[in-house]
Amino acid sequence: MNDVCSSSVELVSVRGLSKRYIQRQALSRASITIQALTGINLSIQRGRTLALIGRSGAGKSTLARCLALIETPSEGEILFEGKSVLALGRDELFRVRRNVQIVFQDPTSSLNPRMTAAEIICEPLNIHRIGSTAERQEKSKKLLTQVGLPADCGCKKPFELSGGQRQRLAIARALALEPRLLILDEALSNLDLMNRESILHLLAELQSAFSLTYVHVLHDLGLASRLADEVVVMQDGRIIEHQPVDRLFNRPENSYTRELLAAMPSLESICSTRFARECR
Amino acid sequence: MRYFARRLVHALVLLGALSFVSFLLLEAAPGDYFDEMRLNPEISDQTIARLRASYGLDRPLLVRYERWLRSTMHGQMGYSVAYNEPVWPILRVRARNTLVLAGTATALAWLAAIPFGILSAVKHDSLGDRIGGFVVSAVLAVPELVICLAMLVLALRTGWFPVGGMESAKIAGSSFWSRLGDTGYHLVLPALGLALITFPVMLRHVRSAMIESLESPFLRVARAHGIPRMRLLFRYALPAAANPLISLFSFSIGTMLSSSLLVEVVLSWPGLGPLLVESTLSRDLYVVVGGVMLSSMFVIGGSLLADLALFASDPRIRVRG
Amino acid sequence: MRYRNKLGAAVLFLMLIHGLALFAGFFAPYNFAEQTRDRPFAPPTRLHFVDDQGRTHLVPFVYDAADMSDSSLHAPVTRSLRPIQFLVRGTPYKIAGVFSANVHLFGVQEPARIFLFGTDALGRDQFSRFLYGAQISLMAGSLAAGLSVALGGALGAVAGFYGGHIDECVTRMTELFLAAPWLYLLLGVRAALPLHVPEWQSFVLLVGVLGLIGWARPARLVRGIVLSVKERQFVLAARGFGASDAHLLCRHVLPETYGVILTQFSILVPQYVLAEVTLTFFGVGVGEPVPSWGSLLSVLQQYSVLVSYWWMFIPAIFLVPIFFAYFQISDALQEHFQSVPL
Repeated sequence: MNDVCSSSVELVSVRGLSKRYIQRQALSRASITIQALTGINLSIQRGRTLALIGRSGAGKSTLARCLALIETPSEGEILFEGKSVLALGRDELFRVRRNVQIVFQDPTSSLNPRMTAAEIICEPLNIHRIGSTAERQEKSKKLLTQVGLPADCGCKKPFELSGGQRQRLAIARALALEPRLLILDEALSNLDLMNRESILHLLAELQSAFSLTYVHVLHDLGLASRLADEVVVMQDGRIIEHQPVDRLFNRPENSYTRELLAAMPSLESICSTRFARECR
Repeated sequence: MRYFARRLVHALVLLGALSFVSFLLLEAAPGDYFDEMRLNPEISDQTIARLRASYGLDRPLLVRYERWLRSTMHGQMGYSVAYNEPVWPILRVRARNTLVLAGTATALAWLAAIPFGILSAVKHDSLGDRIGGFVVSAVLAVPELVICLAMLVLALRTGWFPVGGMESAKIAGSSFWSRLGDTGYHLVLPALGLALITFPVMLRHVRSAMIESLESPFLRVARAHGIPRMRLLFRYALPAAANPLISLFSFSIGTMLSSSLLVEVVLSWPGLGPLLVESTLSRDLYVVVGGVMLSSMFVIGGSLLADLALFASDPRIRVRG
Repeated sequence: MRYRNKLGAAVLFLMLIHGLALFAGFFAPYNFAEQTRDRPFAPPTRLHFVDDQGRTHLVPFVYDAADMSDSSLHAPVTRSLRPIQFLVRGTPYKIAGVFSANVHLFGVQEPARIFLFGTDALGRDQFSRFLYGAQISLMAGSLAAGLSVALGGALGAVAGFYGGHIDECVTRMTELFLAAPWLYLLLGVRAALPLHVPEWQSFVLLVGVLGLIGWARPARLVRGIVLSVKERQFVLAARGFGASDAHLLCRHVLPETYGVILTQFSILVPQYVLAEVTLTFFGVGVGEPVPSWGSLLSVLQQYSVLVSYWWMFIPAIFLVPIFFAYFQISDALQEHFQSVPL
């Protein structure tokens, strides 16, 4: 699943990206500036799976959100298929959004508890006015089946679904607009191992079916080694290392990467592959 | 301490803004005190114009506001056209009376609410608690106005209490203690009425704060340690409930003053209430502004005091703030 | 389960009262301004089932003018019997100000009168005035509460959603409005407005004033909810597919506020009904001849009335179950919406 033929078409290019947050202290007038990202340069090829790894607070989620266009960077550029996204007008930006979608870590909070599954999937279609009402219903049913949910799930609300099912629903929603790039912000972290495995399976299928490009934000190196083509290591808002997966795990260049690898529990990856083998 | 200095400044700014806004609002008021006079054909228009000029009512808004500010600095707060004297001395006496009434009623209400609240929280959901809850709801349902009128009827029918006023006609010149006793005698009815009005809400809040405190995890652990019930109640549960109760106090000042206004008017207690109603009806606008400002000052001051109490009693606030 | 029944009973009772108020003209035997000059401060008409000759009638009846409380002083006179008639034709009235009718639920033949709650100084039937007063007071309360909640909700939502200067501005304004005790603020604002306002304009004025000063608390509450909801991930996700602000507000953010808005409305309605009654009682609310519960009660400020004419107190007593029902509902709503996890 990791050796999708890499076309050298560049999908996303990030240049000199920085993001600052200004936090006002509640009681004093002073404000603190938090530098979440500094000078990020990144190139994402189409069809590849990229893993962003690093400790908590390294800026992975911030970068993911900037890529998903739900955060505005303070400096720098994001080019999508050669076109600068940040310079676009409102309507153009609206159209570009269809190409990038994000799946969040916690499916419970990323789905509106008052909406049914069908409504949740149809929402992006409604906003972008794609197709007639009947076509949207059809599409949502199709998506539900594609992510492995029973078709009658449509009228269920998120609290009636299990955690794994909710995440599938979130993925279905993200696919509704037929994006080219899918950002998964720790989308597997809240799932138990069984669910995680089946979702990984699903993601692999979807990637080959729809020629998707994935950016996974992870803190689990073992997972990164399994699903990524390229790995980006981040620390304190900067990119420390960006290598194809094999090279990173066998010959890390940076000392910080080496530390991370050393701290990785190697038992887990062994066990999961062993289990997969034994299940056959 | 810097926190409080900032809060104080904030409060003063708020009062200042309130004074300007109320001044502005009353400026928009069509007509003034002398409108009634205009209806009298014997008073010529020129006299009225001269009267208005002498009170400075014909000057533009900002000039009047500036003069009012300056007069406030000098402790006068403008001039009452109806009473023909500066506003502040009138307000001061009335405010004192209102504070006496509101203070007494607050003390009475809390004195009744705390023990009953604790009791009903401890005997949560028992038959007694449910009956008590029903009675409290019933008292709450009686409109404030009706409670005041009922008290009035009670006084008139039984003659046990004097109706209206703060002191009897013959008391002037008697000793301090007998005057105090006389005032107290006049205070009973309005204070009881006001306490009755505010008691139900306080009882409910004490009850819910105590219930929450009694059901909190840290108390369950303490109970598991075998700490005796009384000690649990008073040394553990009650202090934990103090935080929401102090906040309740600061929120309730405003409603207490509003209810006090009503009680003062119906039962003829010479506080800010009757003065404000009277000034509204006679359009004595500086008194109205003064009354609104003064009552707001009480509310803001009261909540500052409550913050101080919270600061002193709740260590979490000390660390955070 | 019992709880649900209590709430249901309260709602039903209030609907009954509002129905009575809406069709006040039908249920009231007389118009609110109709005076019977020769019967000032008449006590409630006694209903009899047994007449002077000892005969029992199924339908209660009243006696003619001679049936006064001091009739014992007069020598017994043959009194004419007037049975209560149902669905009588009487003084015309309007329902909701639009439909005309002249059928009343009950009445008696002239010159007898049926004063269920007695009369006031001008001989006006207190029972009819109570029903018409319900129209005014309840309507004033509901309209004003609706205005406050709508205004406060809108401002709070905009302030919470957009933040920045708008939020600053709105927050400072709520502080201003919450700084003064509400009755003082109400009187202050009322003082700024013309004192003698004719009839129905005074009603509109009152509703406007009440509604406009009470927006602060709902605004604060709605703002708080909007602030917390707008950071939720499902809102972020919707932003991710390019949802407009309007869509976010309508579809995701505002539905979370409906609970609070409804609860605030249920709390404000009784408060505003009382405020109207209080202001009219003071003489700065709705003016005569528009009847309001406040004007019914204001006559009780006179010593003579309080001591001699006990029936003038009856409207006050009937207010208690009405407010009891209101508070049951608002209590239930508060409890319901507090327990639903946000």
